[in-house]
Amino acid sequence: MSETISFPVMSKDENAEGVLATWFVKTGERVKAHQVIAEVMVDKVSLDVETPIDGIVTLLVEEESSTRQGTPIARID
Amino acid sequence: MIENKMRLGFYQQMVRIRTYEEAIRRDYHADKAPAWDIGAGLIPGEMHLSAGQEPVAVGLCKNLRNSDAITAPHRPHHMALAKGVDMKAMTAEIFGRTTGLGKGKGGHMHLFDPSQHFSCSGIIAEGMPVAVGQAFAFKRRGTDNVAVAVAGEGAANQGAFHEALNLAALWKLPVIFVIEDNDWAISVPRDHSTSIPNNATRAAAYGIPGERIEGNEVEAIYEACKTAVDRARSGGGPSLLEIHTVRLWGHFEGDAQAYRGDELAKAEAHDPIPAYEAKLVADGVLDQASIAATKAEASAEVEAAIAFAKNSPEPSPNDVYLHVFA
Amino acid sequence: MSATISETEAGTRRLTTAKAISEAIAQEMRANPEVFVMGEDVGPYGGIFGSTGGLFDEFGASRIIDTPISETGFIGAGIGAAVEGMRPIVELMFADFFGVCMDQIYNHMAKIHYESGGNVKVPLVLMMAAGGGYSDGAQHSQCLWGTFAHLPGLKVVAPSNPYDAKGLMISAIREDNPVLFIFHKGVMGLPWMAKNPRSIGPVPEEAYTVPIGKAAVAHKGSDVTVVSVSLSVQHCLDVAEALEGKTSVEVVDLRTIAPLDRDAILTSVRKTGRLVIVDEDYRSFGLSGEVVATITDTDPRLLKAPVQRVAYPDVPVPYARVLEYAALPTREKIEAAIKAVMKG
Repeated sequence: MSETISFPVMSKDENAEGVLATWFVKTGERVKAHQVIAEVMVDKVSLDVETPIDGIVTLLVEEESSTRQGTPIARID
Repeated sequence: MIENKMRLGFYQQMVRIRTYEEAIRRDYHADKAPAWDIGAGLIPGEMHLSAGQEPVAVGLCKNLRNSDAITAPHRPHHMALAKGVDMKAMTAEIFGRTTGLGKGKGGHMHLFDPSQHFSCSGIIAEGMPVAVGQAFAFKRRGTDNVAVAVAGEGAANQGAFHEALNLAALWKLPVIFVIEDNDWAISVPRDHSTSIPNNATRAAAYGIPGERIEGNEVEAIYEACKTAVDRARSGGGPSLLEIHTVRLWGHFEGDAQAYRGDELAKAEAHDPIPAYEAKLVADGVLDQASIAATKAEASAEVEAAIAFAKNSPEPSPNDVYLHVFA
Repeated sequence: MSATISETEAGTRRLTTAKAISEAIAQEMRANPEVFVMGEDVGPYGGIFGSTGGLFDEFGASRIIDTPISETGFIGAGIGAAVEGMRPIVELMFADFFGVCMDQIYNHMAKIHYESGGNVKVPLVLMMAAGGGYSDGAQHSQCLWGTFAHLPGLKVVAPSNPYDAKGLMISAIREDNPVLFIFHKGVMGLPWMAKNPRSIGPVPEEAYTVPIGKAAVAHKGSDVTVVSVSLSVQHCLDVAEALEGKTSVEVVDLRTIAPLDRDAILTSVRKTGRLVIVDEDYRSFGLSGEVVATITDTDPRLLKAPVQRVAYPDVPVPYARVLEYAALPTREKIEAAIKAVMKG
């Protein structure tokens, strides 16, 4: 079972760009449900992103890259 | 109406304090002659005595328990004694002995008695935020203990005074701010330092009750403090009391007080203890025999404390390194 | 895709330094109801530099307390609560703000235990953000640990990484003495400030302590000893790794400024004979001079070359980026100092 994690929608402006500020995990690592895997930021408000399930994580965007809300940022397999 | 027993107690306590201050003054100067060297003698350093201000300490502390807190300023002896700080340990500290409250580390301006939650500091107004913190702890723990911050009228112009009042009012803490207005901040009279004639009106700026008490009379002070202490104990928050008193002696021992001019003689005419004594005699609470007995008892206790101090060991030089950290 | 983050033991999750500090505080607060936090914007905001993130949601306004702008007032209140047996954590927003409340810090917090002959304790943590590199100017960029360490009665710690940050904060909270916990903004791993990857690292989930007063050898080496603290340690490690194979650099992370771990400094210098000190605090009359004195008080002959100090010059912190980076102890300057001491 695979789950895609997207950049959270934090701003009413759908087109707002955020940044994936920090990855706490690397591709190939095993993660546990509710583990914080990234910190993202939109308009200076930051948010932790958790994985909903256990699995192996694959990162889909670069750290410190500008990312639109809703964009897939990681996959858990 | 205050019972005669309490009135007698007020008198005895004030005499006890005055006797103490006179003895300390005597011993402080005794061995600094002939050329006066402030660092010499059995009691070296600065000395700030409270003659004339006894009614404030006695009237206030009659309302306080051992478990209530006081932070006092650089002129602390009357507050310490009225609060219940042990006279022998306090005297030994003033004489810099190992049996002192601070093992000789603190001295006359830095008397700490945790059993009485009593502390004092030589930095003007800086004990006020600390009292706020003690009140915070009391409220947090759900006791009805109160904290009292004592400072002079000069302290009411320091930033810490204003920050402490705001914080205490904002958090509705059980703290009473007592300003002893003895008219002089060292050599500067209050009309040269303070923009308003009455610090009690500053209370309104912080939304708390404020009262100024004239007359330097122990019973009126007791009543005013009672109202403020009861308010704090019952969750009614902080109060500011400005108590007009008199500084009979110098700011510090050795202060020639030339700046006081004629006012000094006038002040001496307003010594609160003979005035109260006369009142109690007129009311039949005191007579010559009980006056003599009171003074003798005070003298005996004070001289015993001083003897205890003088016979106590001095710290050894290497003790200087102790007690930096717990 | 890979993120440039440090290696981790299997199963140890990574945190930023900011999150490690918040976690330390949370764990101690769960264990002891006498612990509470007080300061400006520590509540819902989570601290200007993230030191109290998540705490307000868990503990509420009665234990995570936003204060007015009254540093003398609330630091003094922290002292009063501490003398009554509580264990306050008070935040001074910027170390640079100590000017408005220094009396409470150095005349009260630091001295009450001594003045009372050991009868009164002040178990208080004063945490503060420090350091520059992001153009915050002269009044918001200072380190100042040298100033605080100079005054008796205060313990002063400054972690360089998330693991030490959590352990030192827990030690500081449990310590019965006043501890100044200085966190460089650049080690916090904040999403809104350029960060060194070393600001994110493995942090065990359970509560643990890192001893106050003990340095750590962050990178073993044999040619030169580089003594540093706080963010500069991260730069020293970057240089040490880049020089592997050419110069064997031992990096000593002080972790605590006061009391200084003089044994650790001496042990390393006895081995290498060459000393570089990297300190973002002002050069003169401070920490770097004290490290030198540690050697010369013991035996100046331990040194094969003069000591190199890479420290902030004796100037106020300038605003313009080019000026600020001319003053900061950068990797280039650290590498140049290592070369100089090797020639020595």
